[in-house]
Amino acid sequence: MDVTNIAELSGNLAVIGYGLAAVGPGIGVGLVVSKTIESIARQPELAAKLQVTMWLGIAFTEALALIGLATPFIFG
Amino acid sequence: MSKAINGLFRRVLIQGSLLTATIAIIGGGIGFAVAGQPGLISALIGAALALGFVSLTALSVWLGGKLPLGGFFGLVLGGWIVKLVAFILVIGALKGADFINGPVLFFTLVASILGTLAVDSLAFLKARIPVVGD
Repeated sequence: MDVTNIAELSGNLAVIGYGLAAVGPGIGVGLVVSKTIESIARQPELAAKLQVTMWLGIAFTEALALIGLATPFIFG
Repeated sequence: MSKAINGLFRRVLIQGSLLTATIAIIGGGIGFAVAGQPGLISALIGAALALGFVSLTALSVWLGGKLPLGGFFGLVLGGWIVKLVAFILVIGALKGADFINGPVLFFTLVASILGTLAVDSLAFLKARIPVVGD
């Protein structure tokens, strides 16, 4: 090992990007779903309406995931 | 699920498909002008990917709504994770391909995703979802 290069990192940095693109939306979808479950538990009669509202939240969050995961096409 | 919700999802899927087809045609034209045949193919693949993955979410919520609550969350969240893994695999497979123009594919994908989000939001805002089911 070269003494001037003690903390060497090797591998593809894009992998970290994939991880971040999965972590953010994962947290987002988790929050959306947890709040929906909480709301349905409070007001079960609103379940259908809350499920549809949840879909819009998931759609926006997953858009970020898809865009993040596709970035290797321009930055890779 | 009520008729209003069925109508909402049917409208979202049809309008989203039409919009993505339009973006595919426009993106394909621009891609062909910029990068030739790879540009055209990339635009079509980008639009198809966006349509497939965004529609699957709406479809899973729609079909999941007909199941009991546990089945609903299982279908929506299980579908979501399988979809993301599939997307990563597709992106990995396409990344090094010769017939792909990266920027054309990326921008068509982003335009299609944002377009379908706009369609989803508008359809949701206009929908009148009753509190009491049919």
